[in-house]
Amino acid sequence: MSQPSAVEEKLDHLQHHFIDSDQQFEASKLGMWIFLVTEILFFGGLFAAYIVYRAWYPELYLLASEELHTFWGAVNTFVLIGSSLTVAMAIRSAQLNQIKGLIINLWITISLACVFMVIKYFEYAEKIEKGILPGAHYSYDGIEHEKANIFFSIYYMMTGLHGIHVLIGIGLMVWLVFKAKKKVFHSGYYTPVEITGLYWHLVDVIWIFLFPLLYLID
Amino acid sequence: MSGHHISSAKFLWGVAITLFILTFLTVAVTWIHIPEPWNVVVAIAIAVVKATIVAAFFMNLWWDSRFNLILFIMSIVFFLLLVGITLLDTLYRVDPVPTF
Repeated sequence: MSQPSAVEEKLDHLQHHFIDSDQQFEASKLGMWIFLVTEILFFGGLFAAYIVYRAWYPELYLLASEELHTFWGAVNTFVLIGSSLTVAMAIRSAQLNQIKGLIINLWITISLACVFMVIKYFEYAEKIEKGILPGAHYSYDGIEHEKANIFFSIYYMMTGLHGIHVLIGIGLMVWLVFKAKKKVFHSGYYTPVEITGLYWHLVDVIWIFLFPLLYLID
Repeated sequence: MSGHHISSAKFLWGVAITLFILTFLTVAVTWIHIPEPWNVVVAIAIAVVKATIVAAFFMNLWWDSRFNLILFIMSIVFFLLLVGITLLDTLYRVDPVPTF
């Protein structure tokens, strides 16, 4: 018979098919990395399309990227890197049992993600206003290139898919805040925070490539 | 092998500040107008350095199980295969540009 002790480790989270918390944590993290691999290949298809069309129409990319505002692209890069920092801080707080710090850092991350989406919204709105829409809906005549719509199809697909990932990230972090408030997380169990963090950093990494590839062509 | 590396707050701030500086740098190099194709090479090189820093120190691959690192590297290898094999077609077509 095991004696119940006052300092007994909390093991509510441990599923019966794992030996211990560490094995469960490592298995979850491995699963997340496999998912991130599929994400990289998912975006990879779009990056491949970008590269093929840039090789075909290099002058189009030069002309069309002038419609994108480098300043706001750069601001959004700073915002996302900042949010990666706060997510890393949130994980650190969870590891140190600082649940208040965890919740605060998650809220800051959610706010930064919202700032990103608001800036993105104004960028899209400005383009749609001008008739810069993807594919056949393109009706802007400010770019002297008959294939101008192709650049913007690629632009909308890449930034749009990335934006959807940001929105999903916001949803996941709101869910984490609720879980944290219910005192689910502690230094012995913070797996959802860790793997959401991995996801969020990947979204950041994708933007790190999108920013120079779309905005910084001069 | 420990999956529970705890980074100090100072270290995490250092990583973020390095990324901020590199972001500023990648914008700043466009002001000096490096000739083609080197402007693209510089932009991608800075992005690769930034992505490596995020993967190593924010995503903890530096301390993590080697297997996760191998998965990450393999995804990049397969992405490069996709791009490489596609370009072998699209770059060498007799009538290169389709109607779309």
